[in-house]
Amino acid sequence: MRQRPTAVRGLIAGVAVTALAVLAGCGSGSGTSSSGGSTSGGPQHGGNLIFAAVQDAQSMNNTTVFDNNSIWIFEQIYQPLFTVTSNGKGVQPWLATGYTMSADKKTYTIALRHGVKFSNGKPMTSADVKFSIDQNRKATKGWAYLDSAISSVDAPSPDTVVIHLKFPWAPLLADLSIFANGIIPNNYDGQTENAFYQHPIGTGPFKWDYWHKGSALKLVRNPFYWQQGKPYLNSVTWTDVPNDNTRQLQLKGGQAQIDQTPAWSTVSQLQSTPGVHMFLFNSTQTNYLSFNEKVKPFQDVHVRRAISLAVNRPALVKAVLFGHGKPANSLFPPQVPYYDPSTPGYQFNMAQAKAQMAQSSVPHGFSTTLLLPAGNSDYLTIGTILQSELKPLGINLKIQQLDPNTANTDQQSLKYDMTLTLWTMDIPDPDELATFAVDPKSGAQSFFTTYDNPTVVKDTHEAEQVTQPSQRQALYNIIQTDAAKDAFMAFLYYSPYPYATTTNVHGFFVTPLGNMHMEDVWLSK
Amino acid sequence: MSFVARRLLQLVPVAVGVTIIVFFMIHLIPGDPARTILGIHATPQAIAELHREWGLNRPLVSQYWLFLDRLLHGNLGQSLIYGVPASSLIWSHLPATLWLIVYATVLAIVISVPLAMLAASKRNGVRDQIVRAVPLFGLGMPPFWVGFLLIDAFAVHWRIFPVSGYGTGIGGHLLYLFLPSLTVAIALAPVVIRSLRASMLSVLGADYVTTARSKGVPGSRLFIRHVLRNAVIPAITVLGINIGFLIGGTVIIENVFAIPGVGQLMINSIFQRDFPVVQGVTLVFAVLVVLINLLTDTTYALLDPRVRFDR
Repeated sequence: MRQRPTAVRGLIAGVAVTALAVLAGCGSGSGTSSSGGSTSGGPQHGGNLIFAAVQDAQSMNNTTVFDNNSIWIFEQIYQPLFTVTSNGKGVQPWLATGYTMSADKKTYTIALRHGVKFSNGKPMTSADVKFSIDQNRKATKGWAYLDSAISSVDAPSPDTVVIHLKFPWAPLLADLSIFANGIIPNNYDGQTENAFYQHPIGTGPFKWDYWHKGSALKLVRNPFYWQQGKPYLNSVTWTDVPNDNTRQLQLKGGQAQIDQTPAWSTVSQLQSTPGVHMFLFNSTQTNYLSFNEKVKPFQDVHVRRAISLAVNRPALVKAVLFGHGKPANSLFPPQVPYYDPSTPGYQFNMAQAKAQMAQSSVPHGFSTTLLLPAGNSDYLTIGTILQSELKPLGINLKIQQLDPNTANTDQQSLKYDMTLTLWTMDIPDPDELATFAVDPKSGAQSFFTTYDNPTVVKDTHEAEQVTQPSQRQALYNIIQTDAAKDAFMAFLYYSPYPYATTTNVHGFFVTPLGNMHMEDVWLSK
Repeated sequence: MSFVARRLLQLVPVAVGVTIIVFFMIHLIPGDPARTILGIHATPQAIAELHREWGLNRPLVSQYWLFLDRLLHGNLGQSLIYGVPASSLIWSHLPATLWLIVYATVLAIVISVPLAMLAASKRNGVRDQIVRAVPLFGLGMPPFWVGFLLIDAFAVHWRIFPVSGYGTGIGGHLLYLFLPSLTVAIALAPVVIRSLRASMLSVLGADYVTTARSKGVPGSRLFIRHVLRNAVIPAITVLGINIGFLIGGTVIIENVFAIPGVGQLMINSIFQRDFPVVQGVTLVFAVLVVLINLLTDTTYALLDPRVRFDR
């Protein structure tokens, strides 16, 4: 009996399938070609950039969505009147060219940029601006609260918009710079709201191509874009690649040009990988340890101070961020306007921590639980470190990991003792963070801690209506100092935005608020 | 009533049972889709408004009847997160998973059959020992790790295959899904090889094989026409059961290889509490498992004329 030929034929069949797969795939590219003419010494036009994202977008409705992945995509489609400066601390004219403010500070007259067109070729006018801002003001479950100071918007001429305020409002231009106030066609260009947001139209550098949900979303070059010569890219495709390792391998294998937020443990390795450029952009991201003041003993300021003093922030930065971050000293991050570097946020000092504990209502310690979302290895590392750091105070810390949605629900329903949380700014003004974090009536119950210091609340509201920068700085200095002394949250660390790109990507930059101007990005051959 | 029709009718009570269990389970566990949408900006008013919009403020039983009524009209409801029909999401993700399962099954068979034949051709010989031992590495290694090893070698270093994704067109799918399918096949093959080898050895000792051999039937023809065909049925059972597990078990491979399949859709929908999509995907899984069992049983009849299901 001759066995070998049969077995060998079987193996050959397997090899044939492999060959078939390879041959059938010949000619099907991965979309990373860079074509188009080159201009010597300057940006090159052409190319299709693949952006490997952590997760899929949820919606293109800029007035209701809070998900960052959606926001960073539709910011390439809709543009606001003003945009964030590259240092994240101010605004610059964008679809507007300038403004004047009335003597009572309640009326802003804004001049619109000439020659701006939507991606369907229609010119942008003040009617579109009025419609866009009014739609955001009406969004009951979205970003309307940022426009709450606006009483009305007028469009007296095609290139002028007038905004009337209920009271002087210092953050107005910052509020107008948010994506939710991005300009869309009047009356949704004759469509229903739902239909419009399935194929949105804007003045941005890119226009809609397709969205295969859970897979990829592609935008193509807007031929009517107002910035001469831009965008350089033919298209940008955001792919849904949730696994950190896969995104990195896509980068190294040439299947993607940008890796969104590589794992901290891989940053140093990527910094020395040929063909890869590892960026750590300044960000407004701040991580905090929250205390639920509805639960004893966290209503006791000495307990909160003791815990804040027991946290070794440099050790956290080393363990979690692998050294790529800074200990936090303030509620505000350094990239926010009016940040006070001298804010006396508690730093590690075990002797002082023990002294605070001795003055507290629980001098011998207590047992408590740290609520964490499951699957977040960074948070688990922080929790494990906290367990050992709080032991000398007699605090027995148990870690409770719940499914992220449940953990989120419990935090917002105040069903927790301590938990970890973070913040990134949406506008270049501290008002959004200050109101959210210290005003128990803001809707977020002081960042879900129920912290209530009437003086701090009063100062926060006063800072909103004072337009003189020096006066605002003085108020925000007091707010930051009081919030630090009250230790309503332990300010842990500030971290940058990590992004890795292939070295043929140029012009890629992320502002401290997370915005990207993809019209400035180009691919070299 | 024919066997196939009877088995298809069994789908109905299975589907109803699955919808009841999944509906009440997903609604009773903590978590809220409104908070997924609203994030840290979830005020009680905004949550209540979304609940009203989605009908989640109604009693649970009332929500279930509404779901069942829609289902009978072919409507799986609207995705709470994406705002599009749940059915369109599921149908757009299903092909990738089906491709992965079929491709992996084909590769598993291509790997298993020749190796099982090689092993059975000389019991306890060197090649038998090697064939029995080596595939166990595939069984013991976590699939995500095998996947990353294959990506690193064949996609990053040698650039023969893409790193991940699904590709476009038949050629694209064959190319992009080769490594993930191979990853699954490496985990499937050991079980199939051992089962097939065992039943081949049993058949090789049968009288009719001895008779065929003594009549001078060539080795290859003997193996394929007499031994393999009779030995394959137990292996088909093993393969069928494992494919059934694969239906929901592709999620890890889909995550590693960024394949937009129903496994990944299911996991994301559970985390986001996208109830209509979770319910729809579970129903599809249940139907697929029943269909695969039916296919397995039908294959018996095709391979063995003695097997008859109609009475």
